[in-house]
Amino acid sequence: MVRLSHADVVHLLMQLGIMLIMGRILAEVARKFKQPAVIGEIIAGVLLGPTVLGMIQPEWFDALFPVPSGAGTVLSGMVQVAVVMLLFIAGLEVDLHIVWQQGRQAIATSLFGLIIPFFIGFVFPYLFPEFFGIADIHARLVFALFMGTAMAISALPVIVRILMDLNMFKSRMGLLVVASAMLDDLIGWMIFSVILGMIGKGGGMSVWNTALLTLVFAGLMLTVGRGLLNRFLPWVNRKLAWPGGVLSVSLALCFFAAAFTEYIGIHAIFGAFIMGVALGDSEHFSERAKEIVHQFINNIFAPLFFVSIGLRVNFFTNFDLMLTLTIIFIAFAGKIVGAGMGTRLGGFSWKESLAAGFGMNARGAMEIILGLIALENGLINEKVFVSLVIMALVTSMTSGPLMRWSLTKR
Amino acid sequence: MVQFHKIALALAFSPRTQALLAEVARLKNLWNAELILIHVGDYGDREKLLLDEFLAGVNLSLDKNVRVCWEQGKPSERILATCKKENVDLLVAGALKQENLVQYYLGTIARKILRKAGCSVLMLTDPSNTPAPFRNIVVNTEDSAYVEDAVRIACAIGLKDKAQWLHVVREIKLYGLTMSASDQHSEAEYEHLRQSLVKDEIETVEKLLKGIPHEGLKVNIKMLAGKSGFELAKFAQRKHADLLVVGASPRRFSLFDRVFPHGLEYIFADMPCNLLVIHPIKNQGTGREVKHG
Repeated sequence: MVRLSHADVVHLLMQLGIMLIMGRILAEVARKFKQPAVIGEIIAGVLLGPTVLGMIQPEWFDALFPVPSGAGTVLSGMVQVAVVMLLFIAGLEVDLHIVWQQGRQAIATSLFGLIIPFFIGFVFPYLFPEFFGIADIHARLVFALFMGTAMAISALPVIVRILMDLNMFKSRMGLLVVASAMLDDLIGWMIFSVILGMIGKGGGMSVWNTALLTLVFAGLMLTVGRGLLNRFLPWVNRKLAWPGGVLSVSLALCFFAAAFTEYIGIHAIFGAFIMGVALGDSEHFSERAKEIVHQFINNIFAPLFFVSIGLRVNFFTNFDLMLTLTIIFIAFAGKIVGAGMGTRLGGFSWKESLAAGFGMNARGAMEIILGLIALENGLINEKVFVSLVIMALVTSMTSGPLMRWSLTKR
Repeated sequence: MVQFHKIALALAFSPRTQALLAEVARLKNLWNAELILIHVGDYGDREKLLLDEFLAGVNLSLDKNVRVCWEQGKPSERILATCKKENVDLLVAGALKQENLVQYYLGTIARKILRKAGCSVLMLTDPSNTPAPFRNIVVNTEDSAYVEDAVRIACAIGLKDKAQWLHVVREIKLYGLTMSASDQHSEAEYEHLRQSLVKDEIETVEKLLKGIPHEGLKVNIKMLAGKSGFELAKFAQRKHADLLVVGASPRRFSLFDRVFPHGLEYIFADMPCNLLVIHPIKNQGTGREVKHG
């Protein structure tokens, strides 16, 4: 095993400490304004990264985050692990029971909320790829498919928080929106895995092979895999120490699944996500266990990941106002029209349907993860990534107030 | 006061038939109801003789309020069709606590009845020749179309049987709180939010109970977090309940629901005790559902 130098160890520990502290301070500021922590964490990264610190005090920035360095490599590995874990808890949050309970209605709302934003998000980048800053002009189809997926995905935790703030989490509409967002995420991540397969970074499989593998993996994990988990978890709960046992076992399973999907050519995040869905759906994985895994990842690894976003990209030099406004407009139009129509068809009033559209419009952390993976795979450039991050923040910040407004207006 | 006017028993001439008849005779007397015995299969002298013996064993031989329907065809379909035709309020049958994997996916007669019945169904997992009243009853109050009927009937049974306990259970979704509030609130705020969520749910149950007669019953309101249905079954087991009352699902369950079990399917898969699945109470004579409130 390669050992880090003394200086690298000091650097790494300083980086982790500063990232966590800055992330927490700005998350608290965001909290004061009733905004999700992710907004503060992204701003912390922007302040610590090339955008602010790198511009004002470049020597401090270079001293803190030297490139290349052993510490940087380890930090990058930790961020990679953080992404896998974030997708794992995104999977844990999918409660298939709510989806089945809502039945066909959830499927209709979810499909409208997925297809229309996907279509709008696909058409414009396909027709005007240069305007959208395509990284590789030969990959026009894949690029447009990615943009479609980016517009279709939603941020379940943000939606749930808004619904709880509005005291609507257990209402008929609240449950429908949550179930639809869960289905959107499930389908959205499957589509994204196929797109990643298409760009060939995972071993260059054909689209159909990737799609088939993705479907088979998801199907097997949610039936046979879940059945095996239901037999294994009671033993873990009975025999191993609490909560250490279930925490180690669940994270180990997450990493195994991630490694497996990466090995067979689908991205690691998909394995982690589906393992999260399968584990979270098991009746033997208790609410308490879910809470512990959630707290552990959300308060340690999530800040590291979101702060690292600002460290990676210069948000000032890569900011394109027109592109950002266009992406925000497409995001709003697609989701509000799509999810709104789906809800309306479910028998809700126009007012409620508009509120559901605003709720499902929140993109949050999921959009940023999606964007980062696309950036790392050369699918988009830094300008598009910055626009996507800003869109994710704007949609997350505006969802709650807009939903409240639409429900209270006459 | 709710009332089961017509009770039916699915009869199979199995070793448990005498015990089932004893149980249903107790219910018949308790509710002062008409009893219909439904048998699907051969009907000859042997069956008639056996039935006479069974009826004599529970003092129902001469009861004019007891009728027998002999049917031919697929058992579950014929039993349910007869119940519909006779406008039965409560169908009683015997069921195994648990089925093996093949039986679970294919569905036995008892489970088919549970999943497809249009009237209330009482599944007895351990019928006795000397039946005892239900003393420890658990009723589920999860939001569903028939929750009020379920509580109404659980209270009525509890009062009639002089039950020791009526556990009124509501399942609470705390995962939403974890997901949304864990990084948004201080410890005190989080705890307050958690407690107010629980308080809200308790108030919902209390409001529900307010309109239902239950004076004299010892009521325990309990909140459960976790998978709906699964936690309820575990609670009933923990409390050594002898009757679990749940509202039926508004839609019929299919194989899909067995592959991805949820809610009632968890209970059907492994019954913690006798199970009473409530369909809306019908108006005597009209067969129409009674609307409350």
